[in-house]
Amino acid sequence: MTFEGFKDKVFSLGKKKGVEVQLRYRENREFNIRLANGELDQYTDASKFSVTVEVLKDGKLGRYRTESFEDPERCLEEALTNLEVIDSEEKEHFYEGGVYPRMEIFFGEFEKLSVREKMKMVEIAYRSALEKDGIFMVPLVLYNETTNRTVIANTLGLNVESKRDGGIIFVMALAKDVNPRSGAWVEVGISPSDLKPEEVGRKAAEEALSYVGARKLKSGKYPAVLRNNVLTELFEMFFPMVSAEHVQKNMSPLKGKLGQKIAADRVTIWDLPFYPKSLNNAPFDDEGVPTREKRVVDRGILTVYLHNLKTAKKEGKEPTGNAIDGRISPVNLVLEPGEEPFEDLLKILRRGILITEIEGMHAGANSVSGEFSLFAKGLWVEDGTPAHAVEEITISGNFLELLKRVVAVGKDLRISTGRAICPSVLVEALDIAGE
Amino acid sequence: MLEKNLIEDVLRAVLKHGGDFSEIFFEKRYSNRMEMKDGKVEWVTSGETTGVGIRGFLGTKSVYAYTNDLSRSNLLEVAKRVGEALGETKKEDLVFNFDVSKRKEKHFVLYYPKDVKKSEKVLVMRRAYDAAKNHSTLIKQVVVNYWEYDQEILVVNSEGTWAEDRRVRTRLMVSAVAEKDGTLESGFYGPGAGMGFEFFDRIDVEEVGRRAARIAARMVEAEPAPAGRMTVVIANGFGGVIFHEAVGHALEATTVAKGASVFAGKLGQKVAAECVSAVDDATIPNGWGSANVDDEGTPTQRTPLIDKGVLVGYLVDKLGERRMGMKSTGSGRRQDYTFPPTSRMSNTFILPGDYHPEEIISATDYGLYAKSMGGGSVNPTTGEFNFAVQEAYLIEKGRITKPVRGATLIGKGYEIIQKIDMVGNDLAREQGMCGSFSGSVPADVGQPTIRVREIVVGGRSR
Repeated sequence: MTFEGFKDKVFSLGKKKGVEVQLRYRENREFNIRLANGELDQYTDASKFSVTVEVLKDGKLGRYRTESFEDPERCLEEALTNLEVIDSEEKEHFYEGGVYPRMEIFFGEFEKLSVREKMKMVEIAYRSALEKDGIFMVPLVLYNETTNRTVIANTLGLNVESKRDGGIIFVMALAKDVNPRSGAWVEVGISPSDLKPEEVGRKAAEEALSYVGARKLKSGKYPAVLRNNVLTELFEMFFPMVSAEHVQKNMSPLKGKLGQKIAADRVTIWDLPFYPKSLNNAPFDDEGVPTREKRVVDRGILTVYLHNLKTAKKEGKEPTGNAIDGRISPVNLVLEPGEEPFEDLLKILRRGILITEIEGMHAGANSVSGEFSLFAKGLWVEDGTPAHAVEEITISGNFLELLKRVVAVGKDLRISTGRAICPSVLVEALDIAGE
Repeated sequence: MLEKNLIEDVLRAVLKHGGDFSEIFFEKRYSNRMEMKDGKVEWVTSGETTGVGIRGFLGTKSVYAYTNDLSRSNLLEVAKRVGEALGETKKEDLVFNFDVSKRKEKHFVLYYPKDVKKSEKVLVMRRAYDAAKNHSTLIKQVVVNYWEYDQEILVVNSEGTWAEDRRVRTRLMVSAVAEKDGTLESGFYGPGAGMGFEFFDRIDVEEVGRRAARIAARMVEAEPAPAGRMTVVIANGFGGVIFHEAVGHALEATTVAKGASVFAGKLGQKVAAECVSAVDDATIPNGWGSANVDDEGTPTQRTPLIDKGVLVGYLVDKLGERRMGMKSTGSGRRQDYTFPPTSRMSNTFILPGDYHPEEIISATDYGLYAKSMGGGSVNPTTGEFNFAVQEAYLIEKGRITKPVRGATLIGKGYEIIQKIDMVGNDLAREQGMCGSFSGSVPADVGQPTIRVREIVVGGRSR
């Protein structure tokens, strides 16, 4: 059976049972190469598909996920069984379809490249990292490309489809010191030409080398520049805070803060359905609702929460197209860039710390309280230039406090593997734990 | 499952085009997840995945492909692509002698996920919910998650391995949110086991809710944790995440074989304090990280890792065998068929010592008592680890005084295990999900109460 056949069958079965039905079909193809110390360590070439069957009755929604078109009756029955268990009085909805932003998100450039050419890219990345003086090992080079096709259709008439592709290159290098110092760099792209293997290798090496001779730092409050790659990671904890679901369920520190000042004047935050070269661009969300541009924070003032169908209808609002990855999330969260080049941020900082890497977001950042405490790496800055690296430090604080302490925003926007696109920022005080 | 002759043809199709080893992994999994918020079931998703992973080796080169189109023509095509990507040695008309001797089942399950009505599971969720919600007036929200799956696997390889296994996992997770004066804080507890619904006869369901609520309620009133280097007493159970992150990951063949681990080449050497012994044991009956065979069909075992401070073992998978010239420890694991397996931990823990936990606290003049740990991560090439403390207290003059929040512990794994100076007698294991190259797998962490003489605590300075 094909997807179309499966769809027709499930829809007509649904009609007989008097329920609305929605299908979300996903087809993924991935190709990746992993080098360990320059040798092919893992090579994956694969594809799969899945369908989520959703049934809606009396405002309740049941789901069943399958990887086979064999048994449409059973899929529908399972989804209905799941629906029976639900006792929430909050109404679920399907979407009938709307007007979608036009965007180009499939290019097919990766598919055109031969395996040999892809191998060449990872080898270039490997060599460019290894040939830097002081680098003794390049344990990891990763190349990954994915193509995803999504179809969402329901018995209310929704029928949307999109296909997109993209790739990444990641390099980790180790520099010689009393202890090995690791540095990594990643680049994402919608075309192989965006990936710049030579540059990624060189940057990973430079990162590792920048940590050589790292010293301890005394615990204290320091003015700090958070480099763009650090901020893109840290912003992940902001996503649940602006989710209307978390707000409605008492799980967001931004509850009741709509229209209030939550950040410094310099901070404007967008959610954009399309950002050039981002791998997250999408014309519709997981519910088939059109994605749309919105200012989430306007010069420090919180202007909207992000909604899915359920949270929007509960408040009598329009959905915002943010039902993404099984939760409410921005499509591309963009922190509006300022005027300063990165180097100027360091000059304004004069004396303080530049944070270049953080680890532990999944455990050390709590989006309910807004508190974070994270392992970090960085460089001590004297007279506006990096003087030496620091090791064994953490940065900690409250994310919302941090947004209020932003004193300058760079213009160096970085697109990475996550959904946040950020420039570097200067904050007036950051808690550092060290010696 | 797949037909025997199709399996053989797939293994042959790989080797006909290249490589010196081929393997097929078949998986069928039923899973179910339910979520309760505000005391109401809001979200129920169940599903079935079925797929096949085909892998080939040529020396230490590994090629993997997966698909869920199980037609004969597609599987043979995928197998051919794997062989072609490996190239070189081509073997025609191979005959296989599979060892299909029946394994001994060690993990008996009474009630499989499909045997029990979802409404009964909802009752369990509600008990945990009520206990959390009623714990304190500060508790403003409770989210209860119920996860279960029933995974059947078959692994067959060109060396004659023919292994089947069935793994059932059940887990109850509670997140509680406390609010005081506009400040929110959350607490989490999520026990699980390699069992079916009978798991809830073995544990105190209400205590799961109360524990999550207690963490949230205590921490919302706590002041920020101190910052800097200090003595830390880490409670038993999930505290073992420190060994998991700081040491365990760096003992996986994936990192060791490349020479990239800080513990590479240190077998037989003293790497930890003498009071530290640790093992990885995938044979614990119904353990969260247990299995009869690993995802490469190798029988699982108990692997000593550190014995009285001396490094005695690594965690080795089949590729590790080839790279390191050591035998597989049955540590090849993967999230599902979409990941090639790699060396991973199962149930990993520090063995008990002599001290009563109270003795350890009373022997500490000043420090942090890390009662409930959150998750963590590590860079195994440098040993730099971090992990979050969910619930912490100050120790002053040998007594636990006030709650403190927002602490993170960081350091280098190989330094920290030399600084453990007291090990308690209260070993306990707890459940987590461990992420690495081969995806997210259930893993137990564990330890008795331990004391680390000195570790950097990431809090706020004052």
